[in-house]
Amino acid sequence: MFNWMRNRRMFVLMIIVVLFVAVMGFSIGDRKKLTWPENFVLDASGVVQQWFYKPAGYIAGLFEDLTNLRGIYKENEELRKMAAAYARDKNKYNISEQQNKRLKEDLNFTERQKGLNDYRYLIAQVIAVSNDPYNQTIRINLGSKDGIQPNMVVVTRDGLVGHISRVTPFSSNVMPLTELDDKSPDSKQYAATVLGKESLSFGMVDNFDAETGKLSMSRIAENDPLTKNDVIITSGQGNVFPQGMIIGTVENVQVGDIGLTRTATIKPAADFDHLTEVFVVEVPSMEETAE
Amino acid sequence: MSMQRIIPIMLLIFFIEGTIFYWLLPGNLVSRVVPHFTLAFVLFASLYRGRHTAVLLGLSFGLLQDIVYYGNIIGVHSFSMGLVGYMTGLLLERKRSTLLMALTMILLSTLVYETVVYFVYRVFRLTHQTYEWALMDHIIPSLFLQLGFVLVIYVPARRWFEGTAKKKGEEEEE
Repeated sequence: MFNWMRNRRMFVLMIIVVLFVAVMGFSIGDRKKLTWPENFVLDASGVVQQWFYKPAGYIAGLFEDLTNLRGIYKENEELRKMAAAYARDKNKYNISEQQNKRLKEDLNFTERQKGLNDYRYLIAQVIAVSNDPYNQTIRINLGSKDGIQPNMVVVTRDGLVGHISRVTPFSSNVMPLTELDDKSPDSKQYAATVLGKESLSFGMVDNFDAETGKLSMSRIAENDPLTKNDVIITSGQGNVFPQGMIIGTVENVQVGDIGLTRTATIKPAADFDHLTEVFVVEVPSMEETAE
Repeated sequence: MSMQRIIPIMLLIFFIEGTIFYWLLPGNLVSRVVPHFTLAFVLFASLYRGRHTAVLLGLSFGLLQDIVYYGNIIGVHSFSMGLVGYMTGLLLERKRSTLLMALTMILLSTLVYETVVYFVYRVFRLTHQTYEWALMDHIIPSLFLQLGFVLVIYVPARRWFEGTAKKKGEEEEE
């Protein structure tokens, strides 16, 4: 009797282990659609998390504001200077935009090519953040009903945060840049370039070092003009991620693993802690291909 | 207290982990001090109620965490929470644990849980940090948090779980 019980226990344990390995192996990697139990759990929990996250954020923000009160005059002054600079740049921008439009028409651009850089920014509220150090998923309150699709890019005012990894009807999960890992089986890579030297510079942002808190950009060509303090943006090559999202600034450049290419260490521009609002970038061409 | 009332409390604690608690932590401690509040409840269940309750609670709340924060993989927390709940129950469910005993056991089990999670991620090549680094970076700081949390909820949690166990025992005798 006892022996039989023991055997049964071993049997059940082994079945459970095998089951879990199967589930883990199945769930890893890109999945276009989630099953309905996952959708249900994600959406239901999203509603509840929304009730908690927003008020907590407001209260924490209030305390932060009180401590920041002293620096506010100085900040205001700086912001005014910046606003004046922007006003100057706006004139310049308007002129070059019109010129750009005229040239595109002269060169017979198709409608699709013209609309390629008309990104729409959808504002989303963060509803929860995972505490797991191996999986720092950020949850937002926009889902497939709002037009969100996997692999859309999520940004803040400062820069790139990450990309959408899982989508349900009313919420989606964002995988932040801190999850980038060049050795992982299904990690994403961002094709990147330098702001102001877009046609000359190229590399792949593909790794985040948790120990130093820095990103790294690899596969930079030997003759690349990239130097310290350059601002790194997404290049939009590869047609997965949109163009011109700020990733960070270069801290140093060193020779890569093989010696043929170089690797740059990048300080991320966006602050990943205590986010409240983020923007999801909707690319028009992505919409077309989905339809 | 019956299970119908413990589960809503655990759900509430689970949602607080990712929202209110996240806001309470200063920015530089996020992902270094990891709350394992639901795991603490699972371990209380295994100490004062029985390993079968614990394994069920562990599997379901682990799965909830896996799905809600679905990034790369589903099943890691479910597997490790269920396993740890079951093992702790197997070791200690029949003995009357004192405060010190319960504290030591819960801290040890949390350590085992973190280790299991770390190695599952390592096996699937989703993390490349060394175990020593993970230990120093977040496992040990989280243990201190767990210690504090367990001390705070020890008295009410023990009453809730023991109360149900006693009632269940009486029912079985009848």
